[in-house]
Formats: sequence, structure tokens, C-alpha cells
Amino acid sequence: MAENKKVLVIGGGFSGLTAAVETAEAGFEVIIVEKTPFFGGRVTQLNKYFPKLCPPNCGLEINFKRIKNSGDIILHTLAEVEKISGQEGNYDVTIKLSPRFVNDKCVGCNACAEACPVEMPNEFNFGMNKTRAAYITHNQAFPFKYVIDGKNCKGTSCSKCVAACKYDAIHLDMKAETINVNVGAIVLATGWEPYDVTKLDILGAGQIKNVITNMQMERLASPNGPTDGKILRPSDSKPAMNIAFVQCAGSRDENHLPYCSYICCMASLKQVTYVREQYPDSTARIFYIDIRTPGTRYEQFYRKIQGDQNVTFTKGKVARITEDPATKDVIVEAEDVMSGKKIKARFDMVVLATGMVPSTRAAKIPGDIAYTPEGFVAAASLNKGIYAVGSLKSPVDVARSVQDATGVAIKSIQSARR
Amino acid sequence: MTEQIIKPDVKFINDIIASGGESVKKCFQCATCSVVCNVTPDDNPFPRKEMLQAQWGLKDKLINNPDVWLCHQCSDCTAYCPRGAKPGEVLNAVRQLSIKHVSMIPLFAKIAQDPKLIWLLFAVPIVLFYVVMRFAHHETLEFIRLGENMDQMVYHMFIPADPHMNAPFPLKMIFALTAVFSVLSAVVGVNRLWTGMKAQAGQLKSGGNLMEDIISSVKTIFAHSKFADCNVNRLRQWGHMLLSYSFAGLAISGILALIYSYLFNITGPYALTNPMKLLSQASMIAFLAGIVILIYNRFTQAGKAGMGSYFDWIFLSIVAGIGATGLLALGFRLANMSAGYAAFYLHFVFVWLLLAYAPYSKFAHLFYRTTAMVFAKYSGREGKQV
Repeated sequence: MAENKKVLVIGGGFSGLTAAVETAEAGFEVIIVEKTPFFGGRVTQLNKYFPKLCPPNCGLEINFKRIKNSGDIILHTLAEVEKISGQEGNYDVTIKLSPRFVNDKCVGCNACAEACPVEMPNEFNFGMNKTRAAYITHNQAFPFKYVIDGKNCKGTSCSKCVAACKYDAIHLDMKAETINVNVGAIVLATGWEPYDVTKLDILGAGQIKNVITNMQMERLASPNGPTDGKILRPSDSKPAMNIAFVQCAGSRDENHLPYCSYICCMASLKQVTYVREQYPDSTARIFYIDIRTPGTRYEQFYRKIQGDQNVTFTKGKVARITEDPATKDVIVEAEDVMSGKKIKARFDMVVLATGMVPSTRAAKIPGDIAYTPEGFVAAASLNKGIYAVGSLKSPVDVARSVQDATGVAIKSIQSARR
Repeated sequence: MTEQIIKPDVKFINDIIASGGESVKKCFQCATCSVVCNVTPDDNPFPRKEMLQAQWGLKDKLINNPDVWLCHQCSDCTAYCPRGAKPGEVLNAVRQLSIKHVSMIPLFAKIAQDPKLIWLLFAVPIVLFYVVMRFAHHETLEFIRLGENMDQMVYHMFIPADPHMNAPFPLKMIFALTAVFSVLSAVVGVNRLWTGMKAQAGQLKSGGNLMEDIISSVKTIFAHSKFADCNVNRLRQWGHMLLSYSFAGLAISGILALIYSYLFNITGPYALTNPMKLLSQASMIAFLAGIVILIYNRFTQAGKAGMGSYFDWIFLSIVAGIGATGLLALGFRLANMSAGYAAFYLHFVFVWLLLAYAPYSKFAHLFYRTTAMVFAKYSGREGKQV
């Protein structure tokens, strides 16, 4: 019998975590490297899953618990793969570990953040509020351990956080280190980025305050988001009572993303429920090319939203968004294809259903990895022993990512035994 | 709602595809185009509905549709189209078919539009002017051939231009007759288009004042205000303005030349200070600047607007040919080089092509877009511009 080797999972989002726990629970050692200081990826930024409308943390927590209960998973945050060489059953991988400046003694008391004088845009909330250079993303972050942002922290010259920490958890002299691991299989799970709205010139190019992205909407509606879950428009923090959803903001467009991003229709339908539940008198209008809700449950969800009197569906892509300079209301222009009339409608806030861009479009994985012209990993052309999961191969929802990652676990186990 | 049976005209769809609208089937009706278009009326905007009509081959709806002509092919729609369906190019193809449909002599439209007949297009004037040249005074031809005793090159002896020159078909007469033919063709075409649009529109919203609408449309055309609404082809405003003003200038100076020679028996070469000559020189400069801008714009915006079709390029080539041969003829004459005769000969080949095929080539937009603009105002489709 062949020697059982380790499996490396690159990316600690829902796909990567799933692949890791499934592999570990089958008795194989797993190493996960996550680029950011926390696990959970995009799902941690969501308010609710569709179509069940339950909070993502319930699914994530189960996985975190499974990780904690399994002794065979080595976790690395702030870690990036620098080099991959070898073949199936015997890959040598170089990993760079950036310092967290916070050790395991951290109890999450927030004293360091209170002491920290440096403010920076909160990337977890897509820049909608500020955070300190000593921070934790949210109250259910994993690992529940603060982090000092290496780029923005003033370092040992400041040290206010060190003084504030009663647990000797902060060490600003931590250095980056490089480790080498030998693994039998590698799972690529580096996920996706929201499409850059500054490229959508006719949709405001990210310059209009009350035009936000669907991911920003998730943060706005999240109880642990910048507004504590209140859907307030950014310009004046007034309740957004009249919202437009602009579908295909970049997707299905050869000038931007020449593919359907799969999740945006369901995401917008789901976000309609956020608004409608929070404000009973609110109205929502969805501008679309086609509503794509594949399968039985998604189609049922669509039907349910269609039944809401305060929700309007308009077939016609929005192709101009402007701002009323006096009120900061947003003016949306489209052609209502059904009536053939041009619409110029005013909204409190507009949500762009921005598409999914594979993280590998901008940041390639070091090693011999094949890509599609859109930047997705070309799964069929990968070397033996290397597998890609979830949104790295094509735009998918969380459920399909999980199914995919579970399937990939068995493939990586086979490679790790060769 | 009464049931409607739609009969797709497959031949018409194929004609659109063959005329530069090969991208028509890519359209998935998202309606981005109708919104980014700055020249469409808000009510029932184009070109989204035209793209659907084109995909279904609804010929009557398209060729009698003033919207097809209200489109100025800014190409903003083409630039923003998420599918590369190029609505600007498709509508251009429809316009081409519309010109053919209303033409007085369909064969002329075929010669003007079919790339396979390009040889015939050029053969007619090449032969025509060769024949005219042969009617020149025998001794003039000898002078030219020998290059003797000519202090100054005199083009109008090479190809007899004026009535007193004892030639059966002097140049000016040929052009006057060609112009009559063109005007007649245009009148017939405009009448057919107007009748078609009226029939298609059914009950008109408001019986406008025709004279008022014509004046208002001509003002819009001269001001080039529609072009100013374009984004992608913004530069074209200046190119088209220079070119159309120069055409007006050249037309006036041409008519003046006819008056000089037929009414007052004053023949060329005219002094450079002659008002007619001054006007034509100024027009020539505007003409050259205009065509250079238009071609430059075509090439630099091709990525966003599409490369255009034969229909566009044969017209641009003829216009550019007029400019190039005219400039060469003038240059060679001033340099006293006999190559000028060849340039002069080709110059008239190009000028004749432009004039004779005006209501059949892309030049026909002069008549038909004007007609559609007037109709749009007359029928209440478009608000009157103050």
C-alpha cells in the first residue's frame, strides 16, 4: 500500500474548507492556506443564503467545528503559495507566511483596536466604513484572533496596542517566514472577486454614492455590517425605501464579462426580501435581460417574489445611471422592452448586480496551471493531482461549490495515495 | 388583441446579412442600445425594435420606418452592445436596402451597391469620358501629345468643357444632364419613401405644417446638431460638416460656371480672384479636410463602431478619389506636368460617379434621411426643434 500523503488546499473559503474537512475526516492530513487573516471567504460577507434565507454562519460554523474536532488540519492564515513543483503524489510547495503580530493568547477583548490610532477603509465592508489597523472583521470571525494590518500599522514606533494588551498577545516584531511542504495533491480554491464597477462607465463607474454593488448590499443588510443591518443609503443614511436592482452589471457582456455570473438573479431576488422585510412600505424594481433562476427551488423563489405587489420586474437592461445633484437620488434609464417605452425612473438607492470574476483573472497561481480566456482555471487541462473547486472553474452558488468540493475531496485522496 | 401572423422574409434577412449586417442575429434584445442612443425619441425608441424586426425579416416595417433614417450611426449602440450585434451596422444595411427598394432604376442601385459590379461602376464613366475626350479638337490633342507650344496646361481643351468648343457633348452639358437624371431619381425615391412611411404609419398623430417641418429639418442638418449628440463618432460631426458645406460650395460654384458659360459665354480658365473660383477653392480645402477627418474617424473608431461595409467604403473612396484627383490635377497644372491630364480625366470619372449614383449610393442619405426627418416631425414622431 502506498504511503498516505498530505493534501494542500489553497484558499479558505467555503469551497476550500469543505474540501479540507471532507478529506481530513477520511483520515488524510490537510494543510489549508488562506491569504486573508480569517477563514470563510465571501460567505462570511453575506447576510443570508438563498433560497432558504438562513444566515451563512450556521453553515460556516459547522465546518469550523468539524475543523476543530479534526486533528489532521493545519491552518495557515495570511499565507500565500509562492511556488509549486513536482507531480501527482509528490508536490513540493513553498508557502510564505506573513506575520499576524497577534499570537494565540488573544482573547478578542478589542483593547488593541480601541488603542490603535490608525484608521483605514474597512475592506471586509467594501470600504463602506473605517476600521483600525488592529482589528477583527466581525463577531464570528475564525480564527477569533485580532490581526494587526502590516501595511497600515506604524510599527514599534507606536506600540499603543502592545501597551493596551493585557495578555501579551501582540508582538510587533514578528517576521514573515517561508515554509516548504510536500503534498500528494493540491486543491485550488481561491474563489472570486466582485467585478470592478469603475469599468461600468454608463452605470456610474462607482462614482455615484447611492449606487452600490450586490456585495455591498449584503454588508448593509448584515447585522454585523457597517450599519448594523439597517439598509440606509450611503449619501445621507436615510432608509432606502425605493430601490432598483440592475441585473447583468458587467455580466453577459463581451465588453466586460462574457458569461452569466449565475448567482446575481437569485442574489437580487434575495436582497429584495431584505428591503421588503425591513421596510413594509418599501418598493423594489428589478431591471433584467432575462431572470435566470435555474432548477425547481430557485424558480419557486422567483415566483414568490413576483407575487409581492411592491416589487416590479422590468425587462430591459439599464444603460444609464445618473445622480440628481440636489437630492442624491439616482436616475435610472432603460427601455421597457414589453411596452417599447423609455423609462427614466428615480430611486433612493440602486444595487448593481455585479458579476463574479475568478480570483485567478488578476492573480495567477504560481505553477503550471491552465486558464480559460476569462481567467477561470481550465479544470480539464490541469496536471494530475491538482484540482480546482467552486467559483474558480465557473460562476456558481454556495450549494454547488460545496457539492463540487466534496467530490474533489475524493479525487485528491486518490492522488494523495499514489 | 387581434391575432397577428408574422411572416418572416428570409430573403430580406439574408440581404441584411449580405449588406454588412451579418451581426444581426447576435442581438438578444437587452435594449442597451435604445438607452445609450442619444438621437432616438424617448417614445418607442430605436434601434432595439429594429433589431428584432431585422431578425424576423419584417421588410415593410423596416424600409418604411423613418427611425431607420433618424439613426445617424453614432455607433454608441454598437460600442455598448454586450453581444457584438452592432445595431449601427445593421441599420446601415437596412438603409442600404431601403435605398434599393425606393430607387427609380433598381439596376443603378445594384451597380452602386454590389461589390461584384464594381468594374461596371467604373467602366461607364471611364468609357464615357474617353469618348468625350476623343471629340476634342484634333489639334489640341496633338499639342498635348507633343507637349509643344503650351505655355500653360489647359484642361478644358483636353476634355471640351464649354458649349462653344464645337464638341457635341461638352463636359458641362454631360454634367447638367446627369444632374437632371439624379434629381429625377431622387424625386421618385423620396416620393416612394414618403408614401411608404405614410402607409406604414397609418393615422398620423398630428398633421404638421410641411413647409415648417422642412425648414426646421434643413436647419438641423446644416447645424449638424444631431451629430453633436454622438459619443463614439463625435469627430465625424466636423468631418461631415466640412464635407457637406464644401459640397454646397462646389454645387454653387458649379452652377455659377454653367451660368458663366451658357448665359454670358465666359469660359475658363477663370482668374483665381473670380468669386466662383474663390468659392470653389475654399470648398476644396474644406472638402479635403472633411474627407480626411471622416476616414481617420473610421479607422480609429473601428474597434467600437465596426469597420463598415462595401456600401460605406465605395462611397468614401469615390469622395476621397475626387479630392485626391482634384488636388493632383491642380498640382500638376501648376507644375506644368502633363500627368495632370490623367488626373483631370480620373477626376471627372469620380465626380460623375458621385453625381450619377447620388440617389443610389450611400450619398442617397442626403435625400432620404432628410425626408425621414421631415416625416418624423410631420407625423409627430419627433418634437419640433426650436
